[in-house]
Amino acid sequence: MNSASLPLLETRGLDFRFGSRPILHEVNLRVEPGSIYGFLGPNGAGKSTTMRLLLGLLRPAAGSIHLFGHDMARHRVALLNRVGALIENPSLYDHLSGRENVEATRRLWGVPAHRTAEVLALVGLTDNAHRAAREYSLGMRQRLGLAIALLSDPDLLLLDEPTNGLDPSGIIEMRELLTRLRQEHGKTIVVSSHLINEIEKVATHVGVIQQGRLVFQGSLPDLQRLQTGRARLVLETEDADRCRNLLPRLLAGATVPAAGTLWLPWLNKEHSAEVAAALIAAGQPLYGLRLEQPSLEDTFLHLTEVKELV
Amino acid sequence: MEAALTPDFLTLPAAPAPLTQLRRTLSADALKLRRTAALRLTLLSGLFPVLIAFLIFFFKGDIIMKAGGSPWPRFIMAAWQTAGTLLLPLFVVLLTSLVVNVETKATAWKHLYAQPVGRGAVFGSKLLLILALNAVALLLFVALLLGAGFLLAAVRPKLGFQLHAVPLTPVLWMLGRTYVATLGLLAVQYIVSLLWRSFVVPVGVGMGAVVATIALLSWEHIDKIPYAAPLGTSASLKMTKAGVLETAHELAKHEWYSLGWFAGALLLGYLVLYRRNVTN
Repeated sequence: MNSASLPLLETRGLDFRFGSRPILHEVNLRVEPGSIYGFLGPNGAGKSTTMRLLLGLLRPAAGSIHLFGHDMARHRVALLNRVGALIENPSLYDHLSGRENVEATRRLWGVPAHRTAEVLALVGLTDNAHRAAREYSLGMRQRLGLAIALLSDPDLLLLDEPTNGLDPSGIIEMRELLTRLRQEHGKTIVVSSHLINEIEKVATHVGVIQQGRLVFQGSLPDLQRLQTGRARLVLETEDADRCRNLLPRLLAGATVPAAGTLWLPWLNKEHSAEVAAALIAAGQPLYGLRLEQPSLEDTFLHLTEVKELV
Repeated sequence: MEAALTPDFLTLPAAPAPLTQLRRTLSADALKLRRTAALRLTLLSGLFPVLIAFLIFFFKGDIIMKAGGSPWPRFIMAAWQTAGTLLLPLFVVLLTSLVVNVETKATAWKHLYAQPVGRGAVFGSKLLLILALNAVALLLFVALLLGAGFLLAAVRPKLGFQLHAVPLTPVLWMLGRTYVATLGLLAVQYIVSLLWRSFVVPVGVGMGAVVATIALLSWEHIDKIPYAAPLGTSASLKMTKAGVLETAHELAKHEWYSLGWFAGALLLGYLVLYRRNVTN
């Protein structure tokens, strides 16, 4: 991440608790302008709470939030002028039509009347705009919520689980829309999810939160590099334990998941060649030798594993 | 495309002026009222007490008016007392709960507070809307009441509605004083609705309070209870021996208390709500 440029959104030492229950601890988010920031974490890790804090819906116990370089606590209303948000399920008035729902928020912002038709077209709801929101499917509701978030043409979009309840084609549509918003309209987007697969195709940056702590933050290539460090060499032989006894130095870090299998942390190709040569020199059969890359999902799961307290 | 943070990103956008925020919120709130029960309740609530008074006079008017004189005072008193005793406080309870529930039902509080309007604008706009609906309902009640009198003049000329002038001055005084009498309980109900954000809690609290005040009518401090104020105002409508409708041309003590509750509840409620976290 280019740390020289000023972040568009930044939190410094953000702490939050509900009563005495701590929810967030020392969260330091950093969102670069023009990026799609995938905010990942399992359910209950503190994603929605963070999103609500970013919008000033909750008051932090400690720390501060800076949008566009300004303190959120001091300039909330002014800063919200440049933020569009969709928090959890979209807030829709079921007794109003889709168009009236957009119109209600448009009046709050005081943006020109033609924006209503524009955002409805942008999310593909023009033909259904006259129907009551209560008749909308889950996917349509999500898109209507997004249309409302886009009304003011905001510089920053905060989307909390926008693909919640969408079917696979809806997820793909949402993904394409987000990519288009960034590339064609220059928006900065923070999008939270509990599934990395949804994010990895659109995100330029990723933050991973686990039990209220930010456990990873960086560009998507950074996350991919992190997983290279977790690649392993898989050796298949006759008797894994015997191999370990024969080659105590080379196989010291090996684990034995099955009688004939050895796992070694992958270091480099010379090391792999050395292990293979040594095994054969020791008279052990080598049935298979391969490099296993964990998927992004494995990396994500590893990051968010609940570490048992000993 | 890592766009550098251009200088215009850093300039603080101007927050809309407080009055602009209020105007925008009010305009949005008015739109959200379309097709709601709150609106239907406002438009129809006046009909019931007027209908009862109309039917009484339509069928039994000749007995009531046996002594002669103007039928207007008795007719107006019959309708006003039906409305003020129970219906009006219950109407205010339902109205405030329904208006606030428009947001609660849509889980829209989190959305509303994330828009570039302050909490004061959100709070003030809904309050103004409820005050306006309450005024509209009372005005409709009076209009329907006078209209029903003129209808009786046409369909029951024997009762003599057409022979006597409408006692407009006491009616207008009653209108104003009744409105003031509803303000205390309106504010209390508004704050309760905002604090609990459910439909059931404020309606339950309100109905319980209305029923309790009726049971406590002979209590010496009943004039200090906002839920009893509309009843007190309705009861202040009197007819002199000469058959003239009369009411005090000033606020009664319980109406001042109602204003006190209005100011106190709003101030206290706003202070609590202003700092509160928005969790739903």
